[in-house]
Amino acid sequence: MTHQSHAYHMVKPSPWPLTGALSALLMTSGLAMWFHFHSMTLLTLGLLTNTLTMYQWWRDVTRESTYQGHHTPPVQKGLRYGMILFITSEVFFFAGFFWAFYHSSLAPTPQLGGHWPPTGITPLNPLEVPLLNTSVLLASGVSITWAHHSLMENNRNQTIQALLITILLGLYFTLLQASEYFESPFTISDGIYGSTFFVATGFHGLHVIIGSTFLTICFIRQLMFHFTSKHHFGFEAAAWYWHFVDVVWLFLYVSIYWWGS
Amino acid sequence: MALPLRPLTRGLASAAKGGHGGAGGPPPQDRRAHPAPSAARTWRLLTFVLALPSVALCTFNSYLHSGHRPRPEFRPYQHLRIRTKPYPWGDGNHTLFHNSHVNPLPTGYEHP
Repeated sequence: MTHQSHAYHMVKPSPWPLTGALSALLMTSGLAMWFHFHSMTLLTLGLLTNTLTMYQWWRDVTRESTYQGHHTPPVQKGLRYGMILFITSEVFFFAGFFWAFYHSSLAPTPQLGGHWPPTGITPLNPLEVPLLNTSVLLASGVSITWAHHSLMENNRNQTIQALLITILLGLYFTLLQASEYFESPFTISDGIYGSTFFVATGFHGLHVIIGSTFLTICFIRQLMFHFTSKHHFGFEAAAWYWHFVDVVWLFLYVSIYWWGS
Repeated sequence: MALPLRPLTRGLASAAKGGHGGAGGPPPQDRRAHPAPSAARTWRLLTFVLALPSVALCTFNSYLHSGHRPRPEFRPYQHLRIRTKPYPWGDGNHTLFHNSHVNPLPTGYEHP
């Protein structure tokens, strides 16, 4: 029986990178099939295999760490770098949409009436639901910090309570934003205003859903005693992601909702 | 974050580790009667005293302003309600979150 003489994690062979890549192919080609040939088969298959890949891959990470102990301090350090790099890439992803918004809104074309918001667009009042949404996400940042400190201080019940409040606030944001989407007098087809508004806020909303899902997984793991007061990187990664989502919203609020109105 | 809470969290973070955190706190002889404030306790306080009441206030404010506004008159602007390709759902002419009360089609509102 051989044992390793180093602290790193030599991951066992896994099929999930392959199924993930195949699911990406199915989703992209599926989108093209849906847009141009009105068939949803490939897309549905792609979404299904993508979900299965994520579930099984991350289930395996939890098995390797919590149950098998492979996440030594150097391994955890690598995971920290990884999460930071990923979030950085997401920052650049959103930077593109903010670029598009400012490009169009700082020099509105004659076709739009030469001003921003363009002629015929009634923007949402930033002091109504958008302000509420801001308070909801900021509050969730406070509650997740409470959860983290409770976790570090070994207070199980408060960790659970604070995490639950954070998740409920995330859900509240999503419901509010969905309602705003249905009630909005302008749509995505309303020129460059509609495009920049719904693509930027839409991707943000998707990230809120992703972040809320990540937090819910952490909630379940906390209930199952996976985290210790000293070792809970999954929770920290979720918290970092959640703060990132909050910061993106603040930029959206100030740029699109407030300055852009 | 906009609020200058960094020093607060730094000071209390070390308190969370169990040592004499730079948060100050009572002198040694008082420790049993007045335990040092933990970071979790501070953030819990902030959650219930600042964060959640702000959410409640903003909710109330939004509710007060939630009445139905008169919808703007329809003008067939060329730069709005653009249709370069039909949507892949429904009749291809309605956006995903279409609301017939407030969203006109390129030809106008669907019903009075």
